[in-house]
Amino acid sequence: MAADANATGVDERRSSARQTQSDDVDAAESADDRLLEVENLRTVFHTERETIRAVDGVSFGIEEGETLGLVGESGSGKSVTARSIMGLVDDPGELLPGSSVRFDGRELTDLTEKGYESVRGSGIAMVFQDPLSTLNPVYTVGNQIEEALSLHRGLSGIDATEKAIELLEDVGIPDAARRVSEYPHEFSGGMRQRAVIAMALACDPDVLVCDEPTTALDVTIQAQILELLSDLQAEHGLSILFITHDMGVIAEVADRVAVMYAGEIVEQAPVVELYENPRHPYTRGLLRSIPSTQQGAERLETIAGEVPTPNKAATDCRFAPRCPEAFDACEEVHPVPVPVEEGAEDHTAACLLYPEDEPRKAAVDRHAAAGDEDSPESAGSTGGDSR
Amino acid sequence: MSAVDYPVDEDEQTLLERIQDEPGPALKLLAVVVPLFAVEFGAVASLVMSLPWSAVGSALPGFLQGLAGALAGVGDALANLPTLLSRSVIDNSGYQLPSGEWVGTTLGLSPAVAWLLRVLLVYAYGFAWMAVGWWVYLVYRDNYRYADWAPVDDMVNRFRNHSWGLLGLAIIFAFVVLALFAPALGPTTVEANISDPYLHTVEYFDEEAGSVQEIYVGDANRDSQSRGQGGDNVGPLSYDQFGRFHPFGTLPSGKDLFTFMAAGARVSLFIGVLSLLIAGGIAVTFALATAYYKGLVDLGVVIASDSIQSLPQLLFIMLASFVLSGTWLANLYSGGVVLALLFGFTGWPGLWRAVRGPALQVSEREWIDAAKSFGQRPSVTMRKHMLPYVVGYLLIYASLTLGGVIIGVAGLSFLGLGINAPTPEWGRAVSAGQPYVPTQSWHISLIPGIMVVIVVTGFNALGDGIRDAIDPQSDVGTGQQDESAAAGGGA
Repeated sequence: MAADANATGVDERRSSARQTQSDDVDAAESADDRLLEVENLRTVFHTERETIRAVDGVSFGIEEGETLGLVGESGSGKSVTARSIMGLVDDPGELLPGSSVRFDGRELTDLTEKGYESVRGSGIAMVFQDPLSTLNPVYTVGNQIEEALSLHRGLSGIDATEKAIELLEDVGIPDAARRVSEYPHEFSGGMRQRAVIAMALACDPDVLVCDEPTTALDVTIQAQILELLSDLQAEHGLSILFITHDMGVIAEVADRVAVMYAGEIVEQAPVVELYENPRHPYTRGLLRSIPSTQQGAERLETIAGEVPTPNKAATDCRFAPRCPEAFDACEEVHPVPVPVEEGAEDHTAACLLYPEDEPRKAAVDRHAAAGDEDSPESAGSTGGDSR
Repeated sequence: MSAVDYPVDEDEQTLLERIQDEPGPALKLLAVVVPLFAVEFGAVASLVMSLPWSAVGSALPGFLQGLAGALAGVGDALANLPTLLSRSVIDNSGYQLPSGEWVGTTLGLSPAVAWLLRVLLVYAYGFAWMAVGWWVYLVYRDNYRYADWAPVDDMVNRFRNHSWGLLGLAIIFAFVVLALFAPALGPTTVEANISDPYLHTVEYFDEEAGSVQEIYVGDANRDSQSRGQGGDNVGPLSYDQFGRFHPFGTLPSGKDLFTFMAAGARVSLFIGVLSLLIAGGIAVTFALATAYYKGLVDLGVVIASDSIQSLPQLLFIMLASFVLSGTWLANLYSGGVVLALLFGFTGWPGLWRAVRGPALQVSEREWIDAAKSFGQRPSVTMRKHMLPYVVGYLLIYASLTLGGVIIGVAGLSFLGLGINAPTPEWGRAVSAGQPYVPTQSWHISLIPGIMVVIVVTGFNALGDGIRDAIDPQSDVGTGQQDESAAAGGGA
């Protein structure tokens, strides 16, 4: 297994390199052992009419070897979150000051375009939604994988080709030695996505950001790709940020799930906990609207209305207009993520109903106070304290 | 997974290996190309030797001087090799005895016939190269290319069905051959007839003296002037009194118009191509940079290009070439270089605007993001992932712009700016013939004028054809023909 030994060798080198790096970091700030830490991320897009707050105060972290699922409806800001992490937000978009993306203890939002190049690929790599448009149609698949290989592993010529074949085999492409010199149009949809994943793996990343990688694929291929991702994760010790709108897919791959709504994370919990015990009314609505083939199923439930486009700082609960459990305070207080009950620190929800074990008024005040701290700009208008 | 020692299978071979596997078609091709090149090898060598090597040689350190001298000797020897298209192969200069017999021309042909034969030979040679180019494409496509099909095949097919584009190609082919082989095509040469007429002589049979006389070309030219009503006139396709054949007639100065036109084509083509290389290079660089970085870079280039476009181009070039006249720059290639630079540096905004759209379009494609996401450098991303989508458009607009440059140069020369006399330029011929347009010497202005129109139309037609060929959505109105051609013709 010459090929495998080689791959492992590379892995070892990489992780040992990171080891020394994180040792330094540990000395500096010992609290944080999470590989990727996103804090209070705010990405806005300036248009002529208004400023769209596509991502508005998102915080989450991913540990080494963990998969975080980011789920939400179309337009909830999932992809923008991914692009913000990759530093791919173009004009007229911008990250507001105060946003923080830390990778391996390194602050990414301060980096210049040049500095980002060293993080992209070898640190964080991305798999995009549509594999056909991710691959450049004028170059062979092998050529594109070799491009990443030469950039990150300094391979060229026959070495690069062999490594590319190896990677294609790793992602389960049959007859890889022949396929490596084929063009993207000669690949099927599933194989293209495998090739794109191989391209991302060629960079030997620590974190893989998958932006709806299975959306363009049919269900059986979807399952194969998900299985492939979890195999690769086990093999390479990858951390994965998995973005999707499909609650079924998230159940299969994620260790923890963050539910996004209108640019905010409304609930975050370990995957089993979330499915068995969803707390936020929006999460419940989402889970109820999964179609199933069970007998006697009634008309499928939906959440009425659609995701609003946030264009100013939140002063209320953005889900309130669609929420079946909304009460008066929901229109005046902006909820912040809080543990859903005493002792459940890993299950948070941004909803005035929580913490569940506190009296309602105390809970509302707690949200209002936290909100004032977080965003001074909204202090005057909440009025939560007065009641 | 087993430890496979990945065999290099057939599909991964390089082009060279594929040729080694199946050398037949390549050898056949080589058997035609080598002789075709060999018959003109001397001309290529003399072109190389005509470069200012002495400047290079004197800059070399002493011990290399001897070597350089030896090399120069070899080069000169090669440059003197006989070539197929040299003027002496079919000689059209001679004199006619009273008996009607021609002396001095090849096989005693009349100069008109000899000249025509040489023109046909030159064009046949040019056509052979074009055919070889087509053949190389076919051989590569059918024998050596890895892919059975590539988008370029469809482009070629669409172009072959595009009659307007083909007409353009034919015109441009004729124009380029005229420019490249100008010294062989003219009935006489620029040196002998135009630039140094008093250093060259011609022989003719003087009927009064009853013997063969020698006369300076300059003196002969004075008796072969075309000066319209009342004056002398040597029209198209006629002989002057010294037995010289003038396919396009003569200029008012008595010089041969065809020789003038052929040399002028060379100048026009040189200026056109050089200015387009400059303008195209700037345009593509800016287009890729603006599409990649957007924002301030884009704004900066927009302002720069708008500023340049707000200048009246021809007026500005006139002013600049007037200011620059007399400097060393203005003397390069009789002012051709400075014109090319001026047309290049004022012409890029148009090209840039044309390719900026496609560049912006491709910059939004996901594979650009993918390349960024694995940390690819901007310059490589631009070159590898964006440039291939832009060059096609550049080709179209370059072809359309080339016609404009040729008109511009002709216009400047018409006004007496631009190319310095006596270097031939079409616009100067139009200008020289201007007073004689309504007379029997109409040919002086009209022939160059019509040629400018034809060549510019040809470039536009070629550009149209390439555009329709590149754009898969453009059905050139021959969709059915396309299918039947595909079904019936196996080429």
